[in-house]
Amino acid sequence: MERAVRGGILLLCLSWASTVWAEEKVTIWWAQWEPAAALQILGNEFEEETGIAVEVKQIPWPSYQDQVFLNFGNNRTDFDIVIGDSQWIGRGATKGLYLELTDWLPSAVDIETIHPRAARYLCEYPPGSGKFFAAPCETDAIGFVYRKDWFENEGERAAFKTRYGRELQPPDTWQEFRDVAEFFHRPEQKRYGMSLLTGRGYDSIVMGFQPFLWAWGGDWGDAETFEVQGHLNSDGAVEGLRFFKDLLQFATEGGENADYYFNLEAFSNGSTAMVLDYFPFYPGIVESMGDQVGFFKVPRNGDRRFISLGGQGFSISKKTPAHQQELAKQFIAWFQQRRVQEKWITYPGCFTANTELLESDAFRAASPYNATFAESLDHLRDFWNVPVYNELLAAAVQHLGEALDGVREPREALDALAEEHEMILMEAGLLEMQ
Amino acid sequence: MRGDWDRGWLRYGFIAPALVLLVAMNIFPLLYSIVLSFTNADLVGSNSSWVGVLNYKFVFKFAKYGQALRTTALFVFLAVACELLLGFGLAYALRDRFALKPLVLTVLLVPMMLPQAVMGLFWKLILNGNYGALNQFLGLLGFSQPQWITDPDLKFLSVLMVDVWMWTPFMMLISLAALQAIPPHIYEAAAIDRASPWRTFRRITLPMCAPLLGLAVLLRATDALKQFDLIMALTGPNDRVTQTLSALLYQTVFRDGKVGLGTAYSYVILVLVIALASVFLRYMGRLQRESDS
Repeated sequence: MERAVRGGILLLCLSWASTVWAEEKVTIWWAQWEPAAALQILGNEFEEETGIAVEVKQIPWPSYQDQVFLNFGNNRTDFDIVIGDSQWIGRGATKGLYLELTDWLPSAVDIETIHPRAARYLCEYPPGSGKFFAAPCETDAIGFVYRKDWFENEGERAAFKTRYGRELQPPDTWQEFRDVAEFFHRPEQKRYGMSLLTGRGYDSIVMGFQPFLWAWGGDWGDAETFEVQGHLNSDGAVEGLRFFKDLLQFATEGGENADYYFNLEAFSNGSTAMVLDYFPFYPGIVESMGDQVGFFKVPRNGDRRFISLGGQGFSISKKTPAHQQELAKQFIAWFQQRRVQEKWITYPGCFTANTELLESDAFRAASPYNATFAESLDHLRDFWNVPVYNELLAAAVQHLGEALDGVREPREALDALAEEHEMILMEAGLLEMQ
Repeated sequence: MRGDWDRGWLRYGFIAPALVLLVAMNIFPLLYSIVLSFTNADLVGSNSSWVGVLNYKFVFKFAKYGQALRTTALFVFLAVACELLLGFGLAYALRDRFALKPLVLTVLLVPMMLPQAVMGLFWKLILNGNYGALNQFLGLLGFSQPQWITDPDLKFLSVLMVDVWMWTPFMMLISLAALQAIPPHIYEAAAIDRASPWRTFRRITLPMCAPLLGLAVLLRATDALKQFDLIMALTGPNDRVTQTLSALLYQTVFRDGKVGLGTAYSYVILVLVIALASVFLRYMGRLQRESDS
């Protein structure tokens, strides 16, 4: 009996000691995808260099946002760093969730080397204010992958030239895109023209609509006054939505509700000529389809080409102890070093915001999509990133979905959406109550 | 005298733990949530301030709240009606003894015993428009292959179908119990009186089953009113076509972080549900009295 008691006491002492002398560790939460796995590999290297362990917890995309913000509801978060979506930054900055990095970030990274669009949308809040709440981690954009082998097929090229009077090549304008989609759309052969982003789960329909909204002259609203009417439901915006909807006649089966994973599947199964997705989803396609595939930028309308921004920045939780915040800063500073960034971009689906690296030949040649990605960055724009972004997003998903489903006319849908967005912004105190 | 005083305190002592729990777990949250509904409380933010009736104004101003109420009402009505008809029909067919009755009953009860969230995920795979088992099967038979959970004309029906699949066995179980509780001599008397099968069904079976069926309807309606798991798994909480009250509340509180607005909406719903439930309970009481007489 006495032995058992002594053993128990010893065990208790050991477990107490293990917590006291526990290894120093930084916990990072990110979504479950290839870049997160790559970050863990780099984290292991950081541990070898500094003795500070790094654990990257990967959470499936569909529940990522819910889990992060539920965790922020605690007094202390289970993570020290969260790699949050670009739209989250307003909520993180204004609700006391993200640590402000304005004074510290310039000491860790040369701000001039961060691509200005990445700095504006991934790191600053309000955008362009110079107040930093995140450091760049994964810079991202949407872009098209296409069946190069179909485009290079002599028979197809001749048929296309006969029908449209020009060469078959990756489209540069949306009008050209429509022609190519129409040309390859042969449902009787189980072959489809294209698949855009139209899913209703999180933000894919919004990311898919934005290039049309901006390219036809519309906008989500005035970033200064937060007025939405006249921007989101302008004639241009309505035309953009009509064009977007019209293209769906050339979509793969189920393409009127296609999210990022749907498009990946639609392309991988060999049925679709062109699909739109975020670049980090493409390494798997390149691996499995090799030379059969090529990439092109989101097309333009006239001289207006705009591309939905993706990507996430490192934000440090304000609800983690100061000591952990310091460790988190050490890791972020280490990650921003050029030698680490050079390594980062060698992993599948990992992209940098470092302008020098983006312009380098080595980066452009490293994978078949890198050059297209680098060219896309200059055209990036993002959705609202105000604290009520999620309500704005949810309303947009519903109203745009109704327009694509034919429940409402595009103008009617955008009028209703503009009205709801203004109400949400009024409720949030961003727009003056009327 | 002192004995009475001690006994009084003893009584209070015995009920105190239950009372404390009741206040802490029910009364306090209820009162606190009333206060929350008048604030702009956020799920993650620490500061909240008094906003008066603004949240209630928004509930009545935003079309989505009324839409979710209509979607829920339609869902509850169709789901409960289908489950009642199918469940009662099955029970009626299975009420007599036959060789494999226990096995058939067990198989029929399986869907009801499985967790809704898990079943929702399974059905999501089965109903997938491109690689789902149902469409593969339809394709083999040469039928068209609809997009069950993404087509706006079909997704509500798909959720409804899965709910009916899950909960018809419950209605069947209660109906079977009601049918088997009817004394056989009443049917014998009806047969002697040469009552037709339809008249027997209308005058004996249905009225005698009604109180128990009413209870089953109440239980299922309450449950269907809260339907969340299937919708979350099949179409997500932000799909306007299938957005029920619970889905919208989840979206409002846990995704948008609007605790104040969510509570205000809950109270509006609570008032409506209490009003509907009292009407239904009155009707049930009347049915019971008619059945007794």
